Amino acid sequence: MTRPLIGTGIDRVDGRKKVTGGATYAAEVQVANVTHAVIVGSTIGRGKIKAIDITAAQAAPGVLAVITHDNAPKFPGVSHKAEANDRAVQGLQDDIVLYHDQPIAVVVADTLERAQHAATLVTAEYDAAAAVGDVEADLGSAYIVETPRGPAEIHRGDLAAGMAAAKTRVDVTYRTPVETHNPMEPHATIAVWQGDDHLTLYDSTQAIFTVRRRLSTMLGLSPENVRVINHYCGGGFGCKGAPWSHVLLAAIAARASGRAVKLAITRPQMQSLVGHRPKTLQKLELGVDGAGRLTAIRHDCVSETSRFDVFVESCTAVTRMLYACPNVSTVQRLVRLDVPTPTFTRAPGESTGTFALESALDELAYAAGLDPLELRRKNHADHDPETGKPWSSKSLLACYQRAADAIGWSKRPAQIKTLREGRWQIGYGVATTTRPSRQLPATARARMMPDGRAVVQAGTQDIGTGTYTVMTQVAGDALALPIGDIRFELGDTALPEAPPSVGSFTAASTGPAVHNACMALRAKLIELATRDPASPLRGLAADAIDAEDGALVARADRNRRDPYAAIVTRSKQPEISVELHTEAHKDRDNYSVGGFGAVFAKVRVDEDLGEVRVDRLVGAFAAGRILNPKTARSQLLGGMVWGIGQALHEHSVRDTRTARMVTRDLADYHVPVHADVPDLDILLVPEEDPHVNEIGVKGLGELSTPGIAAAIANAIYHATGVRIRDLPITPDKLVQG
Amino acid sequence: MSSVETPIAVGMVAPSFVLHDDAQRPLSSSETRGRPWVLAFARGWTPGHDAGAIRAQLRGLGAILFVVSDAGVWSFRPDDDIELTAGPSRRLRREAAELAARWGVPSGEDGVFVVDRHGVVQLAHTPSGDLSATLASALAAAGREVIGLPPRPGITRRDWAVMSLVAGFGLVLLHGCRTPGSDRPAAPAPVAVKAGSDVDVVLRINGQDRRLRIDPRTSLLDALREHLALTGARKGCDHGQCGACTVLRDGHAVNACLTLAVAAEGAEITTIEGLARGEQLHPVQSQFIAHDAFQCGYCTSGQILAAVGLLREGRAKTDDEVRQQMSGNICRCGAYPNIVAAIQAARKEV
Amino acid sequence: MKPFTYVRPADARAAITAAGAGSASFLAGGTTLVDLMRLEVMTPSAVVDVSSLPLAAIERAGDGLRIGAMARNTAVATHPIVVERYPLLAQALLAGASQQVRNMATVGGNLLQRTRCPYFRDLAVACNKRAPGSGCSALDGFTRSHAILGTSASCIATHPSDMCVALAALDAVVHTRGAGRERAIPFGEFHTLPGDHPEVENVLEPGELVTHIELPASPFAAHTHYVKVRDRAAFAFALAAAGVGLDVADGKIRAARIALGGVATRPWRATEAEQALVGQAPGRASFERAAAAAIVDPKPRRDNAFKIVLAKRTIVRALELAWGAA
Repeated sequence: MTRPLIGTGIDRVDGRKKVTGGATYAAEVQVANVTHAVIVGSTIGRGKIKAIDITAAQAAPGVLAVITHDNAPKFPGVSHKAEANDRAVQGLQDDIVLYHDQPIAVVVADTLERAQHAATLVTAEYDAAAAVGDVEADLGSAYIVETPRGPAEIHRGDLAAGMAAAKTRVDVTYRTPVETHNPMEPHATIAVWQGDDHLTLYDSTQAIFTVRRRLSTMLGLSPENVRVINHYCGGGFGCKGAPWSHVLLAAIAARASGRAVKLAITRPQMQSLVGHRPKTLQKLELGVDGAGRLTAIRHDCVSETSRFDVFVESCTAVTRMLYACPNVSTVQRLVRLDVPTPTFTRAPGESTGTFALESALDELAYAAGLDPLELRRKNHADHDPETGKPWSSKSLLACYQRAADAIGWSKRPAQIKTLREGRWQIGYGVATTTRPSRQLPATARARMMPDGRAVVQAGTQDIGTGTYTVMTQVAGDALALPIGDIRFELGDTALPEAPPSVGSFTAASTGPAVHNACMALRAKLIELATRDPASPLRGLAADAIDAEDGALVARADRNRRDPYAAIVTRSKQPEISVELHTEAHKDRDNYSVGGFGAVFAKVRVDEDLGEVRVDRLVGAFAAGRILNPKTARSQLLGGMVWGIGQALHEHSVRDTRTARMVTRDLADYHVPVHADVPDLDILLVPEEDPHVNEIGVKGLGELSTPGIAAAIANAIYHATGVRIRDLPITPDKLVQG
Repeated sequence: MSSVETPIAVGMVAPSFVLHDDAQRPLSSSETRGRPWVLAFARGWTPGHDAGAIRAQLRGLGAILFVVSDAGVWSFRPDDDIELTAGPSRRLRREAAELAARWGVPSGEDGVFVVDRHGVVQLAHTPSGDLSATLASALAAAGREVIGLPPRPGITRRDWAVMSLVAGFGLVLLHGCRTPGSDRPAAPAPVAVKAGSDVDVVLRINGQDRRLRIDPRTSLLDALREHLALTGARKGCDHGQCGACTVLRDGHAVNACLTLAVAAEGAEITTIEGLARGEQLHPVQSQFIAHDAFQCGYCTSGQILAAVGLLREGRAKTDDEVRQQMSGNICRCGAYPNIVAAIQAARKEV
Repeated sequence: MKPFTYVRPADARAAITAAGAGSASFLAGGTTLVDLMRLEVMTPSAVVDVSSLPLAAIERAGDGLRIGAMARNTAVATHPIVVERYPLLAQALLAGASQQVRNMATVGGNLLQRTRCPYFRDLAVACNKRAPGSGCSALDGFTRSHAILGTSASCIATHPSDMCVALAALDAVVHTRGAGRERAIPFGEFHTLPGDHPEVENVLEPGELVTHIELPASPFAAHTHYVKVRDRAAFAFALAAAGVGLDVADGKIRAARIALGGVATRPWRATEAEQALVGQAPGRASFERAAAAAIVDPKPRRDNAFKIVLAKRTIVRALELAWGAA
């Protein structure tokens, strides 16, 4: 039998291209006579443009077009927003300014240097109004809103009675700041019109079909006439999940200048134009009885959104389902601000909500004199407390055990402030993590070529998640072909439609589609062979045939084999191809589905200088079948690094007077660097799940971020006795204690 | 020094020398007693280069190395962790120039000589010589030992083996430190370009001269990406804050985004596209694949080139040192642990 | 980037002549100039590229060391004489920026490094340093990174250099050449306080070229340390930094050097704190007294009061490490 590829940690199939510079990202596609567009941003946070002067910019050398709301082509569809997760964009359609750095003009020139300078020559006069940029400046306006992840509020059991029954309670408020995704590749779009009604976009995106749908709607084009291509995406983390203003502006600029236009936004623009994780204010009230059982949980979250669009950071979603507690009350509120719209950011809701919930549990444990890990174990939810459904699979208790053993949890002193090495205070912390697993419909095409090699296609994306590689593995097992005989293609709306690469559901959505399409192709090849008098397998029943090493073989006599190449060649067709649509697995209705994990941190804190170093992070995770342990481990590592950033570094700051972003680049917006990240321990807890989908995959791209910030904050408390409830935990906060 | 000087040639007894630094501390060939030694005239060499690796090599060979460069004179000993140094004082410069002349190395050129433990010159390489041919003969000498051919009279087989290894090492060292070497002008020619005019530049990229007519505002990064279709150098921030644009300039990692292309004339630029030798990946490249040291891949070119620079410079050794020195290369996917592992694995191969 | 005239002069004399006219800037490593030109925070009419002039030598000068203005940070930090005799300078250089930036940045350029104040870098807001007389957006803005020492009503921007902290402590002398004269400027006189003219940051005249710096012989090499507190473990500007040196004989401090970074508008020499140490026995008690004496009349704003405490603790830590007691 062919050795199975699924479960094997093979090297990435696109690895060679990525280490030789050969992977081509959106702005790197070679388009003849391409011009360069630069966005001019507003310098007020709220108001109207009174006048905009483009004469100097127009007169600058090399300038081909200067587009403002005065002269931009108008598209009624721009304001149309079909789905809740679509982001309203600003495309020079009116004179209204909704936030700082909002596009107010686009300059197109023959070279980048000329476009950049000409953009500085555009000046605007405004009627400015006061802009508010902080949730806490306008808490009174908070309103309750339904979240994409469930109802705005839930009230389970009797909260007051639960609180009254508690022996120990905590009532605390946590803050998480605005964070900005900052993938390494800034968003970029090359727009090329073919006539007035055909548009090709080379766009850095997590969602080629969403870009196609949105742009065709906005521009009034038929979707088939818009083609979106993205073979390599330099990171997304949510901010490339829907097209933002610049994609529309690239199309408009290309239309206005009559040339192909490349629009790569700048790193400062990345801080304002492509979404962010909103600031949250989270009030947690928890009660525990003398036996260590949670009696009540209340979780109120307020987060920010823009004046013109709605995004809810669903912090409370995790509180509704993570622990077995009879009395639970959660509320989500929003405050509208003069800021750009926030959006999904790696583990949206969970990373922020888990920081608060898992910190509060830690506070509760210390207050009640309980082991923080024991408190979590005792309140393990054996079924989904929110829906009452059983879990399709859940290995959280095993995760606790393996990770606790790995870090030596039981050997640490329970007392705070007891461990030190010189000036370093040392502490341990624990937290739980979870992420729901979803499966969206997807279509894939499997094609067998006359040389016996397969081409498998789906319009998904590889944003660094290993899609090229794991889909090749899935296809390889279904067709019994070695890696080298399969080419998996993605990133083009000319391919069958697959869902966006968001929500950690690519493997669990496109994976089954690829599997099913390949199995259907295999069935078709079997049918061809068994009906073909020239085949050694003629006349055999389909279920008497296996696939192995690029051929069909008779199960009873494996010497009777018909290579794929022979079957296709004899068919006299150029190829044998199957396209198949796959819906979410039917079992999913009967179960709650999610990945779970346990994360432990060991930190050291300089008692005088407040510097924190993460010594160790251990995470044990279970997320169904692991398609490729090597790429899975990488995703989990990355998620943990995001947790380190959330805990210690990341903070987008707006000026409180103007709502203008102050942290405008990667020198001021700190993400973890090499020196911040120790070797990290990843433990993959085996889990078989027959209910999630045909390949047993839950998805894990975001599973390892939630919990990390809490584990680190909890470890800092264990080390120092100082509880920081306001991320990030920077030296100033610890110095001021 | 004798006034009747014969040119240094293989087989002759090496002349002794003494150099003095400001503190009159002598640096002398007499300290070589009973050991083989290498005398390298390497103009562009600075002590940042591979000092640790050099010491490890010397320890294995029991040899002493003298390097005479523009920055001073160094003596590396196998049994000592501290190299003796002398800064380029006026006196030392004079003495070094005389030494070079005595050994037949023209001013400003490179050369390397290997002397065996009996004080006999066993290998001489001067700018007129063909480096690879000399290296080949050194390796052939080593091979002679292996296949059992009799060595020259007066030296043992072991002497020869050590000698040949020292010679090979010396040559590799010399080759490695040919920064803006003698085959190119030391500095690019003076130029003045009026604001608004384009400028003709010649950039030496991956061993090839590339001629461009560009706006003087063009960064090296945009010259590569927008004018030469070498898009492997990535633009992540355009302000030296992320490292995605890292290229090697004369062997050292730099930010191409903060380099004006016109100011890169005269430098040897290596981009990710120039790292592999044909189909054969550089060890750092292949270890990045093996360790899955990337996800989205956008920072990868910069990480790899920074790592190549790091290994070449040779200072960062422990994981923590590697992390510190690599911290100018941000990976938002968080592949850091795998990157460090890949670099440490590649260290054994480069 | 605004168009500029690019000049690559044949020699230093030609460079000085070329830079004397209009608003010219010398280009060395480019890590400050190209960065700020791309933002159009700096808009020189001419860029005079001195990076390939032969000004990169590092050599002994009498008992001291002479470092050419074009010597790259990495070359300085790893030079054996620097490592042996001026380890404070090596530590400070290696604590700064990234390997790439250190491979590019020069000693001369680093002397002229501009502030990282976010308002200075954002053309949309007022800044007296960038646009004299326009006002200071930082004063009542987000001031976590700003200075508490040497500030004025016009500017509270922090001097960002690590190298300059070491040079301040080491009593460096800056050597320059201008039209018709050469100057030797003691380091403490090189950078100016912002006062009413934060756009002026040093005493250089138009066209005046830094050729090299000289470090006198230092008695502090045995007991010296640079401590930098920052938001991440590398590649971040200082929240507070201290470069210190102790000359100890017979159990008493004969002389001390304390310079601060990250907390002041220019490289900050804490001479009063140094005096407080002279004659004292090295130890936590004397170090804490010195630290208290170092922060005189701080002027914190909304977000940076923590620097008062942090700077003192950073000094104590640096002194302890220098003395070998931490």
